Amino acid sequence: MQTVRTKFKAEPFLFHTFNYLIMLFIVIVTLYPFLNTLAISFNSGIDTTRGGIYIWPREWTFKNYEAVFVSGKVYDAFWVSVARTVIGTVISVFLTAMLAYTISRKEYMFRKPVTLIFVLTMYFSAGLIPSYFLIKDLHLLNNFLVYILFPGAGAGLISAFNMLVVRTYIHTLPESLVESAKMDGASDFKVFISIILPLCAPVLATISLFTAVGQWNQWFDTFIFASSRQELSTLQYELMRLLSSSMNFNSNPNISSAAAADTATMLTPLSIRAAITIVASLPILVVYPFLQRHFVAGLQLGSVKE
Amino acid sequence: MPQQTVHKIEVTPQSARRTNTFWRRMIRQRQLILMSIPMVLYILLFAYGPIWGWLMAFQNYKPGFPILEQTWVGLDQFRFLFTDDSFIRVLRNTIAMSFISLILGFVTAIGLALLMNEIRKTGIKRLIQTISYLPHFLSWVIVTGLVSMALSTEGGIVNVVLMKLHIINEPILWLGEGKYFWGIVGLTNVWKEVGWNTIIYLAAIASVDPSLYEAAEVDGAGRFRKIWNVTLPGIRPVIVILLIMNVGWILNGGGFDIQYFLGNGQVLDWSETIDIFVLKYGLRIGNYSLGVAAGIFKTVVSIVLLYCANIIAKRLGEERII
Amino acid sequence: MGVRTKKSALWLLMLTLTVSMVATACSGNNSNNGNASSTASSSPDAGDSTNGEKVEPFTISLFTAATGPIPTDDNKIYQEIKEKLGVTLKEEYLVGDIEQKLGVMIAGGDYPDMITANTKLTAAKAVIPLEDLIEEHAPNLKKHYGKVWEQLKDPADGHIYWLPNYGVYQGDFKPTDYMGPAFYIQKAILKEYGYPKIKTLDEYFKLIEDYAAKYPEIDGQPTIGFTSLAFDWRDWGLRNAPQHLAGHPNDGGVLVDPDTNVATLFSATDVAKPYYTKLNEINAKGLMDKEAFAQNYDQYLAKLSSGRVLAMFDQRWNFGQAHDSLVSQGKVDRTYVGFPLVYDESTTDYYLDRPVVNLGNGFGITVKAEDPVRIIKFIDTMLSEEWQKRLNWGEEGVDYLVGDNGLYYRTPEMRAQQEDVTWKQKFKAESLWGYLPKLEGNYPDGNADGPGNQPDEYFANLKDIDKEVLSAYGFKVWSDFFSSPPENRVSYPAWNIDLIEGSDAKVANQKMKDLDFKYLPKAILSKPDEFNNVWSEYVAEMGKVNTQAYLDRVNEQLKWRVDNWSSK
Repeated sequence: MQTVRTKFKAEPFLFHTFNYLIMLFIVIVTLYPFLNTLAISFNSGIDTTRGGIYIWPREWTFKNYEAVFVSGKVYDAFWVSVARTVIGTVISVFLTAMLAYTISRKEYMFRKPVTLIFVLTMYFSAGLIPSYFLIKDLHLLNNFLVYILFPGAGAGLISAFNMLVVRTYIHTLPESLVESAKMDGASDFKVFISIILPLCAPVLATISLFTAVGQWNQWFDTFIFASSRQELSTLQYELMRLLSSSMNFNSNPNISSAAAADTATMLTPLSIRAAITIVASLPILVVYPFLQRHFVAGLQLGSVKE
Repeated sequence: MPQQTVHKIEVTPQSARRTNTFWRRMIRQRQLILMSIPMVLYILLFAYGPIWGWLMAFQNYKPGFPILEQTWVGLDQFRFLFTDDSFIRVLRNTIAMSFISLILGFVTAIGLALLMNEIRKTGIKRLIQTISYLPHFLSWVIVTGLVSMALSTEGGIVNVVLMKLHIINEPILWLGEGKYFWGIVGLTNVWKEVGWNTIIYLAAIASVDPSLYEAAEVDGAGRFRKIWNVTLPGIRPVIVILLIMNVGWILNGGGFDIQYFLGNGQVLDWSETIDIFVLKYGLRIGNYSLGVAAGIFKTVVSIVLLYCANIIAKRLGEERII
Repeated sequence: MGVRTKKSALWLLMLTLTVSMVATACSGNNSNNGNASSTASSSPDAGDSTNGEKVEPFTISLFTAATGPIPTDDNKIYQEIKEKLGVTLKEEYLVGDIEQKLGVMIAGGDYPDMITANTKLTAAKAVIPLEDLIEEHAPNLKKHYGKVWEQLKDPADGHIYWLPNYGVYQGDFKPTDYMGPAFYIQKAILKEYGYPKIKTLDEYFKLIEDYAAKYPEIDGQPTIGFTSLAFDWRDWGLRNAPQHLAGHPNDGGVLVDPDTNVATLFSATDVAKPYYTKLNEINAKGLMDKEAFAQNYDQYLAKLSSGRVLAMFDQRWNFGQAHDSLVSQGKVDRTYVGFPLVYDESTTDYYLDRPVVNLGNGFGITVKAEDPVRIIKFIDTMLSEEWQKRLNWGEEGVDYLVGDNGLYYRTPEMRAQQEDVTWKQKFKAESLWGYLPKLEGNYPDGNADGPGNQPDEYFANLKDIDKEVLSAYGFKVWSDFFSSPPENRVSYPAWNIDLIEGSDAKVANQKMKDLDFKYLPKAILSKPDEFNNVWSEYVAEMGKVNTQAYLDRVNEQLKWRVDNWSSK
């Protein structure tokens, strides 16, 4: 072993240099749009119109953020967003994993029909108007539960996509684990809770992230199903509303735009969009680093697997 | 060995008591049933319940009047869609951009995940992961805006770099020529989503049994051998499942906003996808039914493709959807 | 094993129970305060209305399709409305796509009390006729719309459903600033060549050519002769110029004969060809912005803001941001003046038009409103001079001062404040104001309807170069560059004709737009000897479109207007 390692000493160095160069490129390319958005969010709107803002503001201002926070509605909306994200994610991840376990059992008699029923949901949409009638008939309009129950993009109790991802993962686990547990008399639910769930940590972290981001970014269900109740407004919805209104900030025909004495205070859709992007994404960005450790945790569990 | 015992119980003598077996199986699997059927009922209600809306595809739907009191037009909506001069072109664009985005997306995400996995310093690895998925949180308006800027003939970075390297002599109007459009869409998709897409592979890589690497090392396998012989086979089921699922989405055109924001009159023949066509000639002009008809068409195609992909996977002995 | 199964089953049961309990709790909560429109204001202390009557608290829910700055909860104007009129406004603003939102709103019949106009709502019978309500309960509205009463009626059934928010003038119409379409050119060029008169395309492009030759770079960047925007719905930069060049006013996609009121198309005809031929020519000379038709709106504004675009065809309001940016950079000489160019010098330009009633806009009252009388009374009150001044000018002493001559004016600080969006969210009600009926023109006391139209306010905002340009041409205001418009043709304008949702006319309209977007850039950017080939291809493709369906609908409506509007 020792000899093998010394023999290939040049290889790791070359590889790592090459790899770090690629990573550097990736980091620059993917960090830039975010830094650019950040810079624009702190730059005066009218000045941004000129272009030429890259990663540092030219005319500093907090006006764009002031516009976001002035109404005070975003604070309440933030907590609604947190609530729907936490509740929605916990419930959805648990149920999705449970369902994935059932369809991973080869002996389960309804395995195929259940799988098919869920898989097909990824490929059709009944349309907005019929869905609206359903939600209305279930008395879920302007009801917090619609955020948890409505199977829109990234939301709903079960995501078929996530279900398949988890099932695929379960298939890679040694079948002997489940069988020996069953030999000991464990029920399916018990096996799921005490064996499958812990072993699935990496994949559950993954789908938690998918679900949480989906829930957090969702504004369409508020728009269609809960827009007439302010208490249910979500952060994304408030920010989208601000963005739509910013399209008309400077179009009042009765204010001669030559009157723009102090253009530093003027806002443009571009600058507002930048500010709301930052406000909307920062809270959810912290989720991933938090979940990352589970990727490693899974690795450790993996060695216990035998 | 336990496997045998399970089978012994299941294989009951084939006889007229089949229904009896059915009920016995149900009772034995009552927990599995209890763990799945409520969710099935839920999805039947929420996803399949509103499917009566497909009736709209055969109508000239006007909101405000009950579905059964609408004017029925038979297959007129489908006829409008399929007989339009641009339909073949629109279909071609949709499939081409989906295909390009699909292949590019898979190769780059898997490649990046494998390379990230080779980084030994956990802190750096996590940092890179976190940065690389940032663009996922930017809206398409912002990303396409940056793409337009980068590709501009007026000092766009792409033209500047290519000119500095003497690869081109004068700036190219990238967004004004149809032949570049599909590639731009593919690369933009990669830019925005590659980091996000690696997450799922990184999770899969994390599950690969470390002892397999040790065994390979003992066999004298180098870095690339290990990737090829251990890591890739380890994440193969995930790759296959994602591939099959994505094949079913081939009529989505690799996005909607991206063509909507980057497209313009000059590249219309390359940029228009089914979804954009439906927006322009359906929703925008008050024809709700066209969108439903196009949706049905897309669903049918999806299911056929999904079925084919599933069969192929089965033949190859790979992980499959059903 | 039995024990274990029971235990797990118990777990499942508990989970189900918890979920369903949460469910009932939330839905129970919902049924209490879900229905917004019927909820009355909780504060029982009703203030006194302006005319001294005791007012009952009243809540009006309303939906606005486009919004300005969103008022804060403690917005001053909304507070005043509540105190003085007892009216609480519960507003909802459109966030996403209007078609989707109205689709579900109409399908479910879940309307607010008041809603901004849309043809879908009229088609779905979502709004109530207003004629009788106005006659009986709204003296201000009745007086306001008196002259245009017939025009307000829906062509399909003769009822009035919407209260247009703009275009009904009191007294004479005196525009100062010009916000409409024109061929714009930098003030610096005019100055350089001694403020020449510009009437035709040749004169216009000659100036651009000379100036670009003399100054190939502006502020270190290459000079762009002429650009034009064709992005998404902002299509006029590419499509609208020919009708104006031919001496016609803005009728959308058609030319209307003022005598017969018959519409014809100009797209892909000989009316349009000379203009695009000219653009092809200037492209050959390197003056046309190669990127023009591939740029997005932000790029267009950035280019204009850099001060290196010499000229373009556009509507003034569309590039307001670029103008403001140039002013703030101190590049006032790079801002633009609009000229009403025509093909033939003998043609009178018709760019500037007389205000038209903004039909199919403003508020309507829905079938869900429980007390339409109170709503129409509220709208009527808002049309009173007192409220109009409050909404448009603001509050005396805070937003404006009264001069010795009785005329209102603003200090520079007040003007600056009016631009501040966060301030406006607290102290203005622009989105509500935008859709309410307005007194336009002058008030009886001589003040203009709003600060933007007050002559003194306007002159106070002119920069030195502006004054220089205006005096060089012997004009007082920007609109003097344009011929004074004749009385509107009775059927004018054709662009606000409702083409009917999902009709062949709408399909044809979209097809025409697609072809214009595809072929016009191609023709303009082609080599001069290829221009005619591209043009013939364009004409041939246009021939395949069912343009007749479009023209038939337009002509039918024009005729209807002549028959019904001229009687009054």
